[in-house]
Amino acid sequence: MHELGIVINIVEQIEDFAKKNSLTKIDKLVLEIGELSSVVPKYIEDVYPMAVEQTMLQDTTLQIIIVPARVLCKDCHTVFNDITNKCCPKCNGHNLKLVRGQEFNIKEIVAY
Amino acid sequence: MEKYRVIEIQRNVYAKNDEEAAKVREKTREENVFLLNLMSSPGSGKTTTLVQTITRMKEDFKIGIIEADIDSDVDANTISKTGAKVIQLHTGGMCHLDASMTSQGLDTLETNGLDLVVLENVGNLVCPASFDTGASKNAMILSVPEGDDKPLKYPKMFRIVDALIINKIDALDYFDFDIEAVKERAKALNPNIEIFPISARTGEGVQAWCDWLGKQIKTWNGA
Repeated sequence: MHELGIVINIVEQIEDFAKKNSLTKIDKLVLEIGELSSVVPKYIEDVYPMAVEQTMLQDTTLQIIIVPARVLCKDCHTVFNDITNKCCPKCNGHNLKLVRGQEFNIKEIVAY
Repeated sequence: MEKYRVIEIQRNVYAKNDEEAAKVREKTREENVFLLNLMSSPGSGKTTTLVQTITRMKEDFKIGIIEADIDSDVDANTISKTGAKVIQLHTGGMCHLDASMTSQGLDTLETNGLDLVVLENVGNLVCPASFDTGASKNAMILSVPEGDDKPLKYPKMFRIVDALIINKIDALDYFDFDIEAVKERAKALNPNIEIFPISARTGEGVQAWCDWLGKQIKTWNGA
């Protein structure tokens, strides 16, 4: 379980950003989490209240946008998102590349 | 009512860690210290492999070891008997090392004058793969009893390492472990991966691994 450490790190990054941009109040934090990133969205939600306690983000709401995985077949250029597939559903090729689904981004904040 | 704004940040959560990792790389480059990040599951033989490696390389290189564990100093104790400089890092429950913890470890170890520092990461094949420690090269150990399906289960780890050590080959007769299948699966994920089958217990194959490591150190240190 490493979600708590990661969320604490996110809080530090946001506080830094707020200071640099003279923001006085933050209402909401939006995170983008890829389906294949190594974090569990539910755990992020669970540890969030602990991580923000006594920080600038104490009274914020957290929104998580799940980014579905997308795989590109480099042989026939089909894009598909069934990640349980070990080969291309169209040409059965194995020359696959993950093009989306591993991201973990601080997307935006709503602030005053 | 105050006016609120939506501020697009679009920053990768790992960006801060990546910046720290770049600093670690800059520092080790300046000091001519080669940093190896060694990862594996618990019980794969990391410490035994390290003892074998140190014994063979200590004539040519000054070696330091950073042992990371959630608790205890069992491994640090074993390593210190080889004569290598060693410190124990307690991660306090964290299941991986990040770049800032690595940086603290390097400072505590006092790396100046060392040629090789090995970071023995927390035993785990999952999250250490997601956090750049700032190492010059990454290596992992997979041991025979763990099974030949591990590249399929933990693809990210196999994708990010430069070298794969397959340990406990002296036990191949007792397990359904298809070594060729592992090589094939690892190469499919990572065509440039270097693979070293070894037995840290008998010493078989360890020299080839040490030769590769020695070459990497010399390249990094510009010798």
